[in-house]
Amino acid sequence: MELQTKEKKVFLENPMEKNFDLTLAVEEASRCLLCFDPPCSQGCPAGTDPGTFIRKLRFRNIKGAIRTIKENNSFGWTCGTVCPTERLCELACSRTEIDKPIQIGKIQGFLVEHSWEIGFAPLKKVSADKDKVAIVGGGPAGLTCGRELVRKGYQVTVFEKKKGPGGNLRFAIPDFRLNQERVDREISEIKSLGVEIKVNTDLEALGGISGIMKDGYKAVFLAPGLWRPIRLGIHGSDMEGVLSATEFLEAVRTGQESGFKEKMGGKTVVVVGGGSVAMDAAETALRQNAQDVYIIYRRSYEQMPADEREKIQALQNGIHFQILTQPIEYVGESRLNAIKCKRTRLGGVDESGRRSPYEIDDSEFNIEADFAIEALATEIDPSLVRKEVDLKWTGNGLIQISDEKYSTSWPGVFAGGDVARGPALVVEAVADGKGAAQAITDYLEGKGGR
Amino acid sequence: MKDLSIDFCGIRFKNPFMLSSSPISNCAEMIARAFDAGWGGVAFKTLATQATKIIHPSPRLHNYNYGPSRVIGLQNVEMISDRPLEHNIRDISWLKKNYPEHRIVASIMGFSNEEWKELAKAAEGAGSDMLELNFSCPHMSVEGSGSKVGQAFDLLEKFTETVKNATTIPVMAKMTPNITDMNEPAMYAKQGGADAISAINTIGAITEIGLDDLIPRPSVFGKGAVSGYSGPCVKPVALRFMAEMAQNPELGLPISGIGGIETWIDALEFLLLGASTIQVTTGVIHYGYRIVEDMIEGLSDYMEEKGFNSVEEIVGAALRNVHHTDEFDLERQGFVEYDLDRCIGCGQCYMVCQDAGGQAITWDYEKRRPVMDEDRCLSCMACSFICPVDGLIRYKEAPKGWVRHDPEPKEI
Repeated sequence: MELQTKEKKVFLENPMEKNFDLTLAVEEASRCLLCFDPPCSQGCPAGTDPGTFIRKLRFRNIKGAIRTIKENNSFGWTCGTVCPTERLCELACSRTEIDKPIQIGKIQGFLVEHSWEIGFAPLKKVSADKDKVAIVGGGPAGLTCGRELVRKGYQVTVFEKKKGPGGNLRFAIPDFRLNQERVDREISEIKSLGVEIKVNTDLEALGGISGIMKDGYKAVFLAPGLWRPIRLGIHGSDMEGVLSATEFLEAVRTGQESGFKEKMGGKTVVVVGGGSVAMDAAETALRQNAQDVYIIYRRSYEQMPADEREKIQALQNGIHFQILTQPIEYVGESRLNAIKCKRTRLGGVDESGRRSPYEIDDSEFNIEADFAIEALATEIDPSLVRKEVDLKWTGNGLIQISDEKYSTSWPGVFAGGDVARGPALVVEAVADGKGAAQAITDYLEGKGGR
Repeated sequence: MKDLSIDFCGIRFKNPFMLSSSPISNCAEMIARAFDAGWGGVAFKTLATQATKIIHPSPRLHNYNYGPSRVIGLQNVEMISDRPLEHNIRDISWLKKNYPEHRIVASIMGFSNEEWKELAKAAEGAGSDMLELNFSCPHMSVEGSGSKVGQAFDLLEKFTETVKNATTIPVMAKMTPNITDMNEPAMYAKQGGADAISAINTIGAITEIGLDDLIPRPSVFGKGAVSGYSGPCVKPVALRFMAEMAQNPELGLPISGIGGIETWIDALEFLLLGASTIQVTTGVIHYGYRIVEDMIEGLSDYMEEKGFNSVEEIVGAALRNVHHTDEFDLERQGFVEYDLDRCIGCGQCYMVCQDAGGQAITWDYEKRRPVMDEDRCLSCMACSFICPVDGLIRYKEAPKGWVRHDPEPKEI
């Protein structure tokens, strides 16, 4: 790759810029073998049926294809864009055995965009006169649960703590991966079905779960997500220049703190972690005009949990991968100057199924850095755990739910998304929203309820 | 490289590949480039006298696509040459002078006996090697011309005779496929003195109707029409006419084959069914004159591989295998054989066999593989056409005495 000046930096693989048009989408659909029992349709956690919408597109039943997607999932564009299709539907594609899988995610994203272009909205608002249901958390799980319930006639209110709905889609996944306008468009479609969304409203202001129940809500779906970043907790964490990926990504995404471009311009940024959030933080730092961006990871390239395409893209964009490296201390006065690290080597396989790292004695070295962004996991807001003592929590700090039923230890209270299953994909949040909506319906109709 | 030259009506063509009379053979500049690319001859775009003003409708062409395949068919409302006759005559003379090794066939269309005579003389005078009589354009906007003549056999015979009497060079009559039996007009042409037949001209067709304006395409300012259709999709129909005329012992004229030719294989099929030259337009419209390079190399390599020493040896070589269906041996039967090691589990064979075949396949949902009961196979072979893995499904002859079992209704 050529050396790029700051001004000319070209980011590779920007998914926002290369969507299909109708001709290319039909052409791609024509590659589909139209399997008798499409394995792609069995590969989606959210029950998306590519076998059907691709066939419909192939036979120019374009509105039908859009209908198939939207009836199943209101986040069709979002999922088509950010879903790791290469390990879900596209992994299952029969065509793979001939050459390469059908680009299912891209076709789905195109069809949703096409619905906007031709002004086709297959879902219609139904009159909502059934019970009131409250949803805590306006991310993909909560909003999906809401749209499923309003379509069945329930009165749904989504309470969102942050200033806007979307959860990770608005406050975490960078705009260059997921265009805000299009996410907003999908959310506005959910609203138009009758889902009421109240922002800037946290659970405490509602008087907790019992407060919600007192307000006449017959069921509650908890899907607040996991927003508290887990930190390294090493010496110097309070220095200026040390921050979490959660706060960094949210600040850049919302423009709340627009100063990052000035602050990071020409500087060196080190991101700690090897997951998708680490890749997002590193790519975002590049786009704040950082001169050099490092990813420090204590295991090796193979063990990084980020998707392969994200890792490759980061490398291609010029991010330095510093693998087998463990940060042990932040160095500086009040401001970060460097990160002291130790080299590691890989030992045996640990409980995560990956080889675990061991620090090598006397291997300390410093990486000079102006910013350190910690992109480790996130966990539940501990105040929620403290306050909702009537809920049963798992040892990992997640809300305990019954298998497949999404019901918590509290009758009428259901939970899903990251808060119940731990950090997961958008499509899994959608799956939880759908599953919980069914469980809530069963409960309210006195069918599966306790 | 093999010698691809061939005798056609006593004239030597350096190879059998010609441009047909159409927009691609409109003027000397274009034809010169085609000759440079390797084409052996040209049917120059149909000349008319100055008496009839030719104006082309706008737009002239429309495409017929199939899935991602573009222009598998092409519809046109193109007229014959709209250039002044003198310009076309000048172009023919120039080509004859500058490309003496190439063959110029002047296509002509008169609207009266006198015009046919005048055009024949002018074309011969310019040095044309042959004449092609356009009895076949299906969408002439001038009354009493084109395929109207080709469908009125006595007129066709009369005009052929007129031209024959006016010239000394060979005359070829171009047939319209918009009839039932092409041997009929071909025989009339022969009686009129024609030395060869060319076929097929385009098929009257409608390729598309606008779903918003309800106008067939091409929409000539709000009006559509049945007009000439060409391209790869018409090749099977053209091959039928080749075989029928070439197998007619009474006709016995050389044929110039036309209809959807793009590759050496297409061209070869026309030769094998009795054509001794072939003509192309739609393939050139789609891909340019350059495609002749692949026809030349492909045909030469085929001849090398199969031991043919001249194109003449190929002409009509497959005719002995073209029979009437009542000559088939119905004693012999067969079924399909699957190479399941290569199966990718798409299940399309299962669907086609259920819905269009003999219900000989069941589906193993667990393994995602077809299970074949050959005793029920109709040997329709539809599964083998749809299977995405080449050669996975093959035909196998059944042992003598084998009997097919019809499926029983599940519950009756």
